[in-house]
Amino acid sequence: MKRLTRNFVAICSTLALTAGLAACSGGSDDSGGAGDTIVAETAFNLKTIDPHRQFEFTGSTIDNAVYQTALEFEDGDLTKPTDGLCSFEMSDDDKEMTLTLKDKDAKFSNGDPVTVDDIVFSFERLQGIKGNPSFFLDGVKVKKVDDETVKLISKDPNPALPYILPNASIGIVNSKVVKDNEGTTDENDGAEQFLNENSQGSGPYKVEKYDADSQVVLTANEHYSGPKPKFKRVVLRNVSAETQLTDIQSGQAQVAYDLNADQAKQIDESMGKISSLPSTRSLYIFNNTDEKLGGPAADPNFRKAVMAAIDYDKLVDLAGEGSQRMASLVPNEFVGAVSKDDAPERDLAKAKALLKKAGYDGEKIPFHYPSDQAVNGVDLAQLAETLQAQLKEADINLDLKPAPSSTQLDGFRSAKQPMGIGTWGADFPDPTNYNVFIPGGSVAERVNWGKDADPKLAELAAEASKAKDSDRDAAYKKLYKATTDTGVWIPLVQPVDTVAVGSSIQKFVSNADTSFDFAKAE
Amino acid sequence: MAGASTVPQGTRDAAPPGPVENDAAQRIEPPKLHPLLRFILIRIGISILLIWGVTVVTFLLTNLVPTDPVAAILGDRAAADPEIVAQTREKLGLDQPLIVQYFTYLSNLLHGDLGVSNQTRTPVLESIGQVFPASIELGIGAILISVVVGLLLGLLSALRQNTIVDHAIRTLSLIGISAPTFWIATVAYFVFFFKLRVVPGAGRLDPWITPPPKATGLYTVDALFSGQMATFTNALGHLVLPSCVLALFTIGLLTRFSRSSVLDIIRFDYVTAAKAKGLPTRTVVFKYIFRGALVPIITVVGLAFGSLLSGAVLTETVFAWNGLGQYAYRGATTLDLPVIMGVGLVIGIVYILVNFIVDLIYGFVDPRVRVR
Repeated sequence: MKRLTRNFVAICSTLALTAGLAACSGGSDDSGGAGDTIVAETAFNLKTIDPHRQFEFTGSTIDNAVYQTALEFEDGDLTKPTDGLCSFEMSDDDKEMTLTLKDKDAKFSNGDPVTVDDIVFSFERLQGIKGNPSFFLDGVKVKKVDDETVKLISKDPNPALPYILPNASIGIVNSKVVKDNEGTTDENDGAEQFLNENSQGSGPYKVEKYDADSQVVLTANEHYSGPKPKFKRVVLRNVSAETQLTDIQSGQAQVAYDLNADQAKQIDESMGKISSLPSTRSLYIFNNTDEKLGGPAADPNFRKAVMAAIDYDKLVDLAGEGSQRMASLVPNEFVGAVSKDDAPERDLAKAKALLKKAGYDGEKIPFHYPSDQAVNGVDLAQLAETLQAQLKEADINLDLKPAPSSTQLDGFRSAKQPMGIGTWGADFPDPTNYNVFIPGGSVAERVNWGKDADPKLAELAAEASKAKDSDRDAAYKKLYKATTDTGVWIPLVQPVDTVAVGSSIQKFVSNADTSFDFAKAE
Repeated sequence: MAGASTVPQGTRDAAPPGPVENDAAQRIEPPKLHPLLRFILIRIGISILLIWGVTVVTFLLTNLVPTDPVAAILGDRAAADPEIVAQTREKLGLDQPLIVQYFTYLSNLLHGDLGVSNQTRTPVLESIGQVFPASIELGIGAILISVVVGLLLGLLSALRQNTIVDHAIRTLSLIGISAPTFWIATVAYFVFFFKLRVVPGAGRLDPWITPPPKATGLYTVDALFSGQMATFTNALGHLVLPSCVLALFTIGLLTRFSRSSVLDIIRFDYVTAAKAKGLPTRTVVFKYIFRGALVPIITVVGLAFGSLLSGAVLTETVFAWNGLGQYAYRGATTLDLPVIMGVGLVIGIVYILVNFIVDLIYGFVDPRVRVR
């Protein structure tokens, strides 16, 4: 028996030694060192990197580095679109935009020059293939004027167009190569797989390897006309938030996108820096306006009572440092955002008085939310539980109905949920992006708020759509303030977009449209 | 023991005893198949039926989910456009009746086509071909550690029954079985990678290392094939910690099973006789006790291996190990029906194959099974 014990110890020691030797052995002689590589980590929501089909964070992060756009937001200032590949001019009636090719040295990753034909093809492909981002150019006619000029002609005034064109989904692709690989400008397009594996952009990077489940590798585009990126290679890996924290702390990764407020606090200066920017996402409560489906939520007094029962400061604490109150669904940095000083305040006495007026007798109201989702680190399940506790103090009883995101979203879109948590990420930084919340809008339909439900709002919306230049801000503020006052949408909090950057990166640009600019990192 | 019940019973055994007094007895009997061959053929037939059953169950279950998969694919704006919704539904074949959808699926399946992911538009078979080797590599690592450590601990525990060694091993095995994998994995990663720096970080290779040319999809094997020793050691290093974490549960399980199995065998007369004959302890332990105890243990090893191969979602998540578990999880959360059905089918086949192999191994390990 003693011999057996000795054998056992010997086998275990051998195993441990083998494991230890294997674990401790590094090795990078097959591919060079890590010095010119940025390792960035995020929990993937990647479906495609075909620019005209992608509509998710991961795809957008990649396409921002791979494709150039006609216009840009310089250094992340979302209020001022500037020249990109083209300069632009809007007509007085905001119906016609003239784009003139400006960067004549721009070249695609195969060395072909960027032409007006590429711009026209890219716009028309975006429109024609009917993908998720096709709506960006809805109602816009693309017309080539000459080899330097393109006109975008809209039926109705389209002042948002300069804010739309910098989106990575409107990246300019090499039309010749894409057409040669089944690319078309209609629903028969078959170039998605090709574009996933063979990027056709003129941005600072090109795709070396694409794996939608594990990692995407980018390498520098030697034909890029702008300043050459210092980091020649970017490895974007699919990693959970918990592991991202350890990887940033250890130096294994240089960029982590998904840390929540508590995790971000664990990174001290020796390990890296935290870049916090206001998120372009809004968190809100929706109330169904249909009496049969919404129950008490359909009563304006009840909705206002809910609004008065919420402790917004605590929600800001929950969302972490840098998050903000909201007075409408429009993020505070956008044109048309209602000042956060006008955001609703907690007043329990007022809430109880309004509940009495609404005749609410404490019945439980189903409250729907996606239980598997976090928005900029804000766990929606935790947010729902917090709201339930806060509203309970005003004698409002929420019956929590958690569900996986896809199930909850399906229920919300079917317009049958009485109350719940909604999230909206800006497609482009212009107040017109929030027209969907006005009665008759596509999101408003999900709470049965039809076109004719509120004539006053319809009037304000019409006025706002006609407003020009500096008048737009005031007109949209008025519209969205009035929308918030109805209580159909209760703005909760504007979270913060946190990017952790490892200590090995000395200089970086982190801005609201790209989060972290790989090409400008040093 | 699942495998034992599948051992075939000869038809002669089932026939009534006594002489047969009719013409049938005079007929020329067809040539008899070798029992082992017949056993294999029957098992293959059953396996095909089981796989067909798996396709029905996965198809029905995925279609019972009360959510429209189109909702999971389209963004808010696109979902509001009936034209885009209808086009997407048609493109995915979701506009067809359920029975048509099933037969289309089955027909494609017979042609080796598991469909295309609704989310990434990548063929499911191609994706499974990429992620499955990662799970196999992790599963093999974990099962090797589990078998060696688990069996030895179980044996030791049984031979030292009711001593402090036995109590310690039983406590450890209980911890292995009951400790939450996600917690263990996170703590292990923090301690061994971040604090002690004795293992490399998450992933199958360091991020700046290019994977070896694909032959099997197992990075360690492919690196060896292509003579990239640095890549081999790097891949092996990355394999150690997730394999150990994944093995903890199986070690606990095998320790307990092998202990109880050895304790059963140790009381048999033939073991007492072997000891009385004065055979060396090593011979008694390994030739008499351990071999006899192996049959039930093999079943557990088989099932555990099947479970490791079919994906270890939590371990894979913490260690950014892009295996079948993560692929399945992502398919489930995004309601990607072709992925869910494809993974379900692969997991079904894995279990069927593992059980099949376990049944065959019985024949080699246990002479009684061979005789039957």
